[in-house]
Amino acid sequence: MKHSPAEILREYGPFPGVERIHGVSFDGENVWFASGDRLNAFDPQSGQALRSIDVAAHAGTAFDGRHFFQLANDRIQKIDPDTGAVLATIPAPGGGRDSGLTWAEGTLWVGQYRERKIHQIDPETGKILRTVESSRFVTGVTWVDGELWHGTWEGDESDLRRVDPKTGKLLERLDLPAGMTVSGLESDGGDRLYCGSTSTPVVRAVRRPK
Amino acid sequence: MDSLITAAALALAAGDPLGALDRVALREDAPALALRGIAMAQLGDFDRAKLLLRRAARAFSPKEAVARARCVVAEAEIALVSRDLGWPAKALDAARTTLEKHGDRLNAAHAGHLKVRRLLLIGRLDEAEHVLAGLDPTPLPPAARAAHELAVAGIAMRRLRTRPARAALEWARNAARQAGIPGLMAEVATASLALETPAARLITQGTERPLLLEEVEALQASPALVVDAFRYTVRAGDRTVSLASRPVLFALARALAEAWPGDVSREDLVARAFGGKHADESHRARLRVEIGRLRAELAALADISATKRGFTLAPRQARAVMVLARPIEERHAAVLALLADGESWSSSALALALGTGQRSVQRALEPLAEAGKVQSFGHGRARRWMTPPVAGFTTTLLLPAPLPSS
Repeated sequence: MKHSPAEILREYGPFPGVERIHGVSFDGENVWFASGDRLNAFDPQSGQALRSIDVAAHAGTAFDGRHFFQLANDRIQKIDPDTGAVLATIPAPGGGRDSGLTWAEGTLWVGQYRERKIHQIDPETGKILRTVESSRFVTGVTWVDGELWHGTWEGDESDLRRVDPKTGKLLERLDLPAGMTVSGLESDGGDRLYCGSTSTPVVRAVRRPK
Repeated sequence: MDSLITAAALALAAGDPLGALDRVALREDAPALALRGIAMAQLGDFDRAKLLLRRAARAFSPKEAVARARCVVAEAEIALVSRDLGWPAKALDAARTTLEKHGDRLNAAHAGHLKVRRLLLIGRLDEAEHVLAGLDPTPLPPAARAAHELAVAGIAMRRLRTRPARAALEWARNAARQAGIPGLMAEVATASLALETPAARLITQGTERPLLLEEVEALQASPALVVDAFRYTVRAGDRTVSLASRPVLFALARALAEAWPGDVSREDLVARAFGGKHADESHRARLRVEIGRLRAELAALADISATKRGFTLAPRQARAVMVLARPIEERHAAVLALLADGESWSSSALALALGTGQRSVQRALEPLAEAGKVQSFGHGRARRWMTPPVAGFTTTLLLPAPLPSS
């Protein structure tokens, strides 16, 4: 297992009216994050806040190239990014105990926070296809280049970890400084991982090791 | 945090405890128990709230020290509001240290304010002042700021410093308005009322009038000889003689001061000091002894001379003699004075605050209840006492935030 401190490249925020970050996503250009009662976008180059969508946004956020998927209460909402309309909802696999959310190859992956699990589900029905166990509380989840990463936050410690999607075995770990929380995780498809924080309302960019 | 916990916490923060309960009603995991506890407390079901918070604290893992500490602080606040003053203060101190160590400044400050309020209620002013001095109010959000200033005002009033009390209340009023919490605004208004309500009576030369706290404060600087029935002292200028442990001597001093410049008959003195109806020879002999003792105690301040029918007070330097008395005097005045805060008290809390036994408090409460001066609700250990007429038990809960905050 590779183990190193997380290299924090940049911090975005705080943003006006945002108290906590509950989920993070990336639409190919901009970073989106869930802040309770809305989804907010910012430009990762300039750090400038862009637009927001008024929709219940209590935990993880994902983007499939056309729609947002957003955890709210005990459901996953499918949202039209242009109109903000909720097009469909499916039950969340953890019945509301879910935290992270990501899209990969036609399926959704959902973190179940204190149960320390990651479920792969059918985005149409919410049916659980596979479950991976982690050893720590799961916050954000993301896929990049065939790698499954998830954020953890347990007690006072947070880290980002790459796990084997079949066995859940820990392959690599990036530690965040004590006191920094991770809520929400998304890769930009390249060498950056964006992670949200609840202790201070910021989104951090962390270098993804090669 | 998971999705429903976030949703429930947002509902709580928006003042919707029922909405919060709705989302986590059937959940037994630690964060859900904590949220349910806080929601129940906001709904006024303190017993259930305490149980839920205790279960939550146990259910969080040892690693989740901050979450556990927040549960302890919430439980301490509920204990304080229900006047369960025997609640372990050490647990609150430990929680406060944990929160400070982990950078949760807001909840650490909240724990500090709870400690101050408890010390104030049990009359440990020095300690309360000391803890309060260690808390910086400037970075606090409005609700916490209001609580801080209320504590400052509470101490200043008990210390007879009305100007700082007024200033603190003004801060508290602004902060409570900014926080937009009606209960808190009402609490500030009630506290402010204490400055406009007679705090004492002044008896001099056979007349008496009510005094505001401000006037009591001004009296501290007066050159008069003051017999103070709050502290059981006699003072003139900067000389003070305490008769707190000598009730007979104080009763005599007070009777003489009330009659000044006139004298008091032996019969009256015997009645006031010993409670005897007729002054027989043995009473007269005892009176002579006690007057002798009082004369020795007050030697530097006043002389006591015999007159034809009794005794009279002659101050040495002071030009006037005054008696400072409680606004209403009756038996068990101390119990009533505590209940006058409008809160509900357990008899054990009253005993703790008065430094006496629970039995003697209960003996005081019974006749007061029969006279309709106090009322109780609840049974057994949960029984609480308060003065009528009080509309509800509106002490504002400013419970710790269930989610981490900046």
